[in-house]
Amino acid sequence: MNAPPRYELYVLEDGERPVEVIEDTKIPNAATIKVVKQDHTLGNLIRAQLLSMPQILFAGYKVPHPLQPYFLIKIQTDGTITPTAILEQACTKLIGTMVTLENKFKREFSFKDVGGVVADDPYGTGAAGGSEWAQGKDYLDF
Amino acid sequence: MAQELDPIVRIRELERDRVNFVLENVDLSVANSFRRVMMADLPTVAIDMVEIEANTTVLPDEFIAHRLGMVPLVSANCDEAMRYTRDCSCLEGCRFCSVILTLHVSCQESITLDITSNHLELGAMDDGMDEEGDELSKRPNNFGMPVGKNDPGVAPVLICKIRKGQELKVKCIAKKGIAKEHAKWSPCSAVAFEYDPHNRLRHTTYWYETDIKSEWPLSENAKEEQPVRDDELFDYNAKPNKYYMDVETDGSLGAQEVVMKGLQELQAKLANLILGLKAPEPTAEDEMIPPPPSNMGGPPPTSAWGGATTQWSGAGSGAASWGTSPGAPAGWGSPARAAGWGSPAAGQWGASPSAAAGGWGDTSGWKV
Repeated sequence: MNAPPRYELYVLEDGERPVEVIEDTKIPNAATIKVVKQDHTLGNLIRAQLLSMPQILFAGYKVPHPLQPYFLIKIQTDGTITPTAILEQACTKLIGTMVTLENKFKREFSFKDVGGVVADDPYGTGAAGGSEWAQGKDYLDF
Repeated sequence: MAQELDPIVRIRELERDRVNFVLENVDLSVANSFRRVMMADLPTVAIDMVEIEANTTVLPDEFIAHRLGMVPLVSANCDEAMRYTRDCSCLEGCRFCSVILTLHVSCQESITLDITSNHLELGAMDDGMDEEGDELSKRPNNFGMPVGKNDPGVAPVLICKIRKGQELKVKCIAKKGIAKEHAKWSPCSAVAFEYDPHNRLRHTTYWYETDIKSEWPLSENAKEEQPVRDDELFDYNAKPNKYYMDVETDGSLGAQEVVMKGLQELQAKLANLILGLKAPEPTAEDEMIPPPPSNMGGPPPTSAWGGATTQWSGAGSGAASWGTSPGAPAGWGSPARAAGWGSPAAGQWGASPSAAAGGWGDTSGWKV
């Protein structure tokens, strides 16, 4: 009965900061960044993007304990850019990728709509009573 | 790097609740994060609380409550059309953050009667909430109804079978949630993910008895790629580039919505991380806002390091580092953590009306 609410695994608490940068005192141009309330979805994505960037000497992430909802990402750069700056750059690049993907999907879906595959239910609500849609109440503008 | 080329998307099949597509020129991590986010990070509606008013069926209350929780409910546009109860200003659920479904079936004849998801009816919400909100206008007409209700083409979900004289009367409160909390909130019933059908990259090793080719038949997707020649040298630098995915939803969201919302959710996650990086370092003033009661008089943190040290200590070893890092006490690490596990949480628990007070009175409440 006294279990903590499960949403604590992915919702930031009041005043909790999503990111914490811990500078490395022994390695030059290195930092460990703690990202709170996120998991492998973001960790592995960022790690892979960082490794593809030429300024990076090291990038790795870990989820230290499966019950503690955060991950650490360790970054070392070649000194031309700070670890935080390159992390930000990586995120921006990834957002760019996602936007391109989104546009591609939008395009593909619109072609399929014309093809009449889901013409009766263009938004793919998967809902019963599709006829009710005809009465208006358009709820999405993709 | 694969991302130098533009990503390619090709949809092979599209149905209302299913989409099969091929993704090209993206990194494996992108494809996998996309898969993960579609499965676990998209909000839907599902029955979360069940008040059982009468249950004379053969199944016990919790059995029925669990089954009700699994019933997929129409959740189109759920991220905008509904609030999380934890974010809502109401005390115990209102029309903005919950959907009421009622079910009352009794059997009067000498037959076996099936109670199915079709017997669930949308109920009125007597919340006395006078707040304005545009969430309701964003909902489709059948929002919160069981998927496939009144659709002869969709078989309903069987909940219980009753005989003459038995009755089931329940009130269900459906809430918005994501699958990280409970899998019933996942919009996806299955997500297929395959790359490298010929195992060219040797990311896996096949066990076989005598002949690897006859014992491991190729998948359909293998037709899309050249088979590995017998004299081909292994390219250990090769990276996966083409991903075959098939997203199948339970009907609560459409396949198209799942895909688009999945990409948006990934962007939101990344954007929040950027925002977090750009946010100024917490000042001493900021850190004093949620002071742990025992440390009210403690010195303010002297440096960012103090705060950092506290955070490093896990939940278990927290006490030890309190002593060793005197710069931190008033700091900020611990209210967050303590609220979850320690004593300060007790106050919150008492005040939380949702689960605890659910009702063990004349009607029994089941947290599904």
